[in-house]
Amino acid sequence: MTGTEFEWGEFEGVDIDLLADYVGGALDGTPDAERVAGLVATDETWRAAFEALEPGMIAVGAVLRELEPEPMPDDLAARLDTMFRVAGGATEPAPASGESGPVVAVPAKVVDLDKARRRRRWVAPVTVAAAAVAFAGFGVNAMLTSPKTADTAAGSVARENAPMSDQSTVGGDVLRSGTDYTSSTLAQATATKLRSAGSAEVPQVTSANELSADSLDRLNTPDAVDACIQEIARINGGGLISVEFMDYARFNGRPALIVRFVAADGTWVWAVGPECGTPGAGADELERVPVR
Amino acid sequence: MTFRGVSPGDLGDAPSDAELIRAHVDGDPEAFAELVRRHRDRLWAVALRTVGDREEAADAVQDALLNAHRNAAKFRGEAAVTTWLHRIVVNACLDRLRRKQAHPTVPLPDGNRDDDRPTGPEPVAPVADQDTVLVVRDALAALPFEQRAAIVLVDVQGYGVAEAAEMLGVAEGTIKSRCARGRARMAMTLGYLRGNQNGDGTVPSRSDAASPLPTGVERREPR
Repeated sequence: MTGTEFEWGEFEGVDIDLLADYVGGALDGTPDAERVAGLVATDETWRAAFEALEPGMIAVGAVLRELEPEPMPDDLAARLDTMFRVAGGATEPAPASGESGPVVAVPAKVVDLDKARRRRRWVAPVTVAAAAVAFAGFGVNAMLTSPKTADTAAGSVARENAPMSDQSTVGGDVLRSGTDYTSSTLAQATATKLRSAGSAEVPQVTSANELSADSLDRLNTPDAVDACIQEIARINGGGLISVEFMDYARFNGRPALIVRFVAADGTWVWAVGPECGTPGAGADELERVPVR
Repeated sequence: MTFRGVSPGDLGDAPSDAELIRAHVDGDPEAFAELVRRHRDRLWAVALRTVGDREEAADAVQDALLNAHRNAAKFRGEAAVTTWLHRIVVNACLDRLRRKQAHPTVPLPDGNRDDDRPTGPEPVAPVADQDTVLVVRDALAALPFEQRAAIVLVDVQGYGVAEAAEMLGVAEGTIKSRCARGRARMAMTLGYLRGNQNGDGTVPSRSDAASPLPTGVERREPR
């Protein structure tokens, strides 16, 4: 404390909280108000404390009123807007015994953001994209829980600082397989990959070099993935979605992000192109198939 | 500079907040999003000042609005919609602060997390006011969080004592007391007591500001 003529201890014997209550009008109409008024009138220390505190409190009130308001950040506002526009499209009838009116169908299990953030520090950078998705309110359960992504803190910090494009070897539920999917293999192959079980039925895998040369780079940033997932959710129209699996791959030979998700209208696998989430492109949808 | 609620007169032909809630409960897919757009800046300002951390504030607002979205049918209209929304947001903020206090986070190896400092610093005001804003914001952040929440609603956001009491679910006397004690602490922290305030009426620089007051057991607040 520098050069404070009046420190807390300066008013020894004065109940500062009580005096503050008196100054702030919290004691009005109570016996304590008269008691404090009497102390201020007759006790030198109480009077000194009152004379110091009252203008100080008024000054604090004035400076607080001058704090400039800050509008909600645009990215958060946009996410909330999308989330509630999407979620607003799905309603369920009210339960027989309960509230009047329908209950809006936001999934009960919205991802635990704190948990997701903690995990992000240990499984980054795969979860950089996943965390952005989570922030928008979409679940990313399996994506974040794969044992393949567990690692040491030191390793995760080093990888967190690495560019996303260097992560072609990362396993778990975000893959960069280069698989060339077709309409008939989408559902089955993603199920197979989701179970992490190899199969002869899995479609042909393109070489890593071939994949890196294509144009999915745009979808390597969290914001781009976030925007893409939001578009898929919006177009799907089944409320919030919970992403189970993503694969940077191909569809009928074209670069495609494969997204398998669960929504109120079922489990789906979508193949979307590199422009997914860009203005005017919607989800750049190539194919969608239900998982039965 | 304070935010206030949108009065019916400001809305023209637009639906009122209560009408939007009813429309949402009746299945209008756009109604709740419109309600959020209408109030999001005020809710954000309260959350940000209360928790003092941008990430935490964003999470609290999102959680609170999802909660409101799901439970809109329970809104009976005894309070204004804006009061109801604020109450949900402030409670989400206070829950987070209580959890944080009960289970302090162990600093992670990357050193980005420090519970004594906001992890996502707020942008600061123009350079001329920067020092003052930082000092005042630090002093506000050092308050016990229930005093902080009351001060944010009343002194920063400009809500009346009765409205703030309804938002926080406490008696008006409690709000007055929390505000008064919070202002007194800040006056001490800022060196704002008479005889110590700078002659030009400004607050001391960040390094000159007095140390935060001890945050021991609080004396019981009047009801």
